[in-house]
Amino acid sequence: MKIHTRHLIFYSILLLTILVNSAPVAAQATFIDLDRLERATVYIMQTDNVGTDLLVTCVSSGTIVSRDGLILTNAHSIVPGKTCKGQTLIIAMTSQVGEAPVPQYRAEIAQSDIGIDLALLRITRELDGRLVDTQSLRLPFVELADSSTAKLDETVTVVGYPGIGNDPVTSVRGTITGFVFEPSSIGSGSAWLKSSALIPGTMSGGGVYNQQSQLVAIPTTAPVTSSNGVSTNCLAIQDTNRDKVVNENDYCVPTGVFINAMRPSNFARPLLRGASLGLSLATISTPITASQASGVPTFKRLFFAGSVNPAGMPSSVISSLPAGSNNLYLFFDYENMTPETVYELRVTTDNVPNATFSLSPVRWSGGERGMWYIGSGGQPWPNGVYEFTLFANGVAAPSQKLTIGAAPSTDPVFSDITFGLLDSRGQPQGNGFVLPAGNIATARFIYRNLEDGLNWIAIWYLNGREVKRVENTWNAGASGASVNTSIEVAEGLLPGSYRLELYIKDRLQATSDFIIAGSQQGALPQIFTKLRFTAANSDADAITNTSISNFPQNLNALYALFNWEQIAPGTLWTLRWLVDGVSFYDQTLPWNNAQSGENFLMRLTASAGLPDGTYSVELRVNNVLLQKAQAQVGIGQLPIDRFARASGVQLRGHILNADTRQGISGVTVIIISEQFSVADFTWNQDQIFDLAVTDSDGTFEISRPLEYSTTDKPVEYSAIISANGFLPLTADGVEVNINTPNPLELTIYLNKD
Amino acid sequence: MAVSVIDTNSNQLTFRQRWNHYLVIITALLGLFAAANLRDNALYAVTPYINTTAGISALYPRNWLIDTTGDYIFRVQNASRVGFKTTIQVAVQAISSNTTTRNLVDALTLNRSQLLAAYRPLPADNAFTLPDGTQATSVNYTYAAINADPFLDTTPIVVRGVDILSIKRGQAVIITFLADSNSYEEDYRIFERFLNTLEF
Repeated sequence: MKIHTRHLIFYSILLLTILVNSAPVAAQATFIDLDRLERATVYIMQTDNVGTDLLVTCVSSGTIVSRDGLILTNAHSIVPGKTCKGQTLIIAMTSQVGEAPVPQYRAEIAQSDIGIDLALLRITRELDGRLVDTQSLRLPFVELADSSTAKLDETVTVVGYPGIGNDPVTSVRGTITGFVFEPSSIGSGSAWLKSSALIPGTMSGGGVYNQQSQLVAIPTTAPVTSSNGVSTNCLAIQDTNRDKVVNENDYCVPTGVFINAMRPSNFARPLLRGASLGLSLATISTPITASQASGVPTFKRLFFAGSVNPAGMPSSVISSLPAGSNNLYLFFDYENMTPETVYELRVTTDNVPNATFSLSPVRWSGGERGMWYIGSGGQPWPNGVYEFTLFANGVAAPSQKLTIGAAPSTDPVFSDITFGLLDSRGQPQGNGFVLPAGNIATARFIYRNLEDGLNWIAIWYLNGREVKRVENTWNAGASGASVNTSIEVAEGLLPGSYRLELYIKDRLQATSDFIIAGSQQGALPQIFTKLRFTAANSDADAITNTSISNFPQNLNALYALFNWEQIAPGTLWTLRWLVDGVSFYDQTLPWNNAQSGENFLMRLTASAGLPDGTYSVELRVNNVLLQKAQAQVGIGQLPIDRFARASGVQLRGHILNADTRQGISGVTVIIISEQFSVADFTWNQDQIFDLAVTDSDGTFEISRPLEYSTTDKPVEYSAIISANGFLPLTADGVEVNINTPNPLELTIYLNKD
Repeated sequence: MAVSVIDTNSNQLTFRQRWNHYLVIITALLGLFAAANLRDNALYAVTPYINTTAGISALYPRNWLIDTTGDYIFRVQNASRVGFKTTIQVAVQAISSNTTTRNLVDALTLNRSQLLAAYRPLPADNAFTLPDGTQATSVNYTYAAINADPFLDTTPIVVRGVDILSIKRGQAVIITFLADSNSYEEDYRIFERFLNTLEF
């Protein structure tokens, strides 16, 4: 009877506190779980070993994105480079909200992309150097949002560490005020999100969250570094020269400037997928390495366009925009850029600095040379005279002005250039921006407001060098879309990067780049051929082994090979690997192999053997998909990650001795999976949703959030609290929903046996 | 007048009373026996574990939490124990023909010293005979168990452990027992009963 009464009390506590099921509930929470977000935010110190001391070389914020200790942050502050030269990464966490972070772990770089400026760290050791069993880690983590669904004026919360070392984790609220587009974001939304939140530079690498507590972006700014590798925004925090004084003579830790650019979380997905599966790709034939330009970074040929086409080319060149325009793209050529180059865009409106349309200093992700754009969309541009100035490593490049709010122009316009090979009827054929090697290439463009008799010029370039100039007299009427201009070389057009510029009255009207590569297969180029997979015990065997598309489980290495034809060194190409349709490797880099060849070899491995899944390889040039192949490993599907979900209710509480009202340490709290009741439970780990053990105060925390129960999908958990010397407590039918407090704090009393 | 005194001997039990006493005593004894039996059932109840793939079977204490998802054949833990959860684990490792138990001991010691805080091997008699007569090697050690959750305040617990290694049919079987050092001797009896039922 006594036991039944106690069970009843326990049921009452749980049911009254947890069950709030009177009304139908929404499928997704729409409040921010700030407690969890702050716990998942870490402070990262890159340090260098100097004798027996650890010298802090760079600091940043980071966010735990998996239960077993993967941390998403910026690459510039953790990958050793000119500014941040340290080798050891220390992870500090806020164990008590409101207090300074405490160093807990050491971490290693699992994946990084220094141009995109994102990296994933993996916790590998305790602070004292002992190895960490990552399977035993149950760290609070956050889920990534689909950042392409971010909306203008959407409320966001930025979480990070605002100072160097002694400040608690802080959150800042704001709204999304705009979207910045770059060639790196074609097909995936925007390259940067802009926010009204005032974000200190040390919060770089932290998290920007939507109202569902999902990570939508990473606040990012890179410290500007002078030519001698010293950051221009920094703070001395340690007596590194041992003169007993911390002053300007000591090592200066970069802090960066206030952040107004946030890297969308979709850029982190390939890194996260690769890191969580432990995948590692090696290109055997020619190591794919970032360019190491030695010259001074340069920007030139700045011009504006109102829109871009799917290949990232300007539709036309404009000198003014009508009032109420939403989209504007600043195009420019660049040279000698590296992923470590920091660029910045400063915009003034009528000579007044305009932070809304400026871009704070960030890393470069576009390769060594080429044409790039920074576009702004989502919000109307107020009328005025705008001046755009680009900076590379803090040095200003020539600026360009544009008037917005001018009267609609009636000037002659050329626009929307596409390239192809002419068929028998004189119509251009092909994919528009990648042509096969041949004798002739043709461009077609749209025109309006023209007058017959007007002089116009077409200039063709190959790899930046003028190869043909055609001066014409217009005779095609006022408007239309069928004018062709061609370049023809009897001995054949060389493979390479071409450009066409169209001028009227010496003013650039339209321009576009295209690639000539590969042999002719109809109107399409055949650049990459025989893309295939195989398995082998060695790299040498992989070249001779037959191709396979179905592989057994526990494969150690998956090889992919392809042949290539007539692709000029320096031509930008894109290699993308996917597993189950999600990219885990995506790099666009200059081709640095011979012009033609066979058996470009790549080897994919994983630390614990390749997981089952469907693996694909895509080869692209100018965003045009040229080859794709697919292979299955094992059952052809990734294993389900039971711990991938971070949304839900966090259950925590205290277990007290009913007699003494003191916490009981070392008590196990078991939450049984929704498929099982207490009666079904056979004390098998597979049946457990999650478990926790109380600390010295009797405090426990179930690290895996309880899933919301809805009318469409009811979720009922069971619980067992069992401790020798105390009467056990059990409960079935434990539910949480959108109205349940989060985190849910319980106080449970145990009676002596 | 003659007075007749009818006296009854109050110390003299009737037949019925006597048997009532006997029945009470028998019932009490039966109750004690049943209680002892129930206690033993509760204390020594076991659950069978059979793994035909690995060729291992054993009886482990009932209501201990079994886990077969790690890099071991199975691991059982007394989840109800307050403090450190007494653990028995059986792992199998493929070895080459040149591998000796000494190599295995070295590898285990190296691995544990990198993972466990304040790891200390204890001097002990390395020779160990399993209940089925199989010769094995045992390694005793202590370490400090620390809760992995950085958000909780925990005091490290001194844990005492023993690894028993045996090479059989080209594979090494590693049986591990871990318990709070304060309750090690008490819990070791459970481990001995487990060893008595272990077949591989």
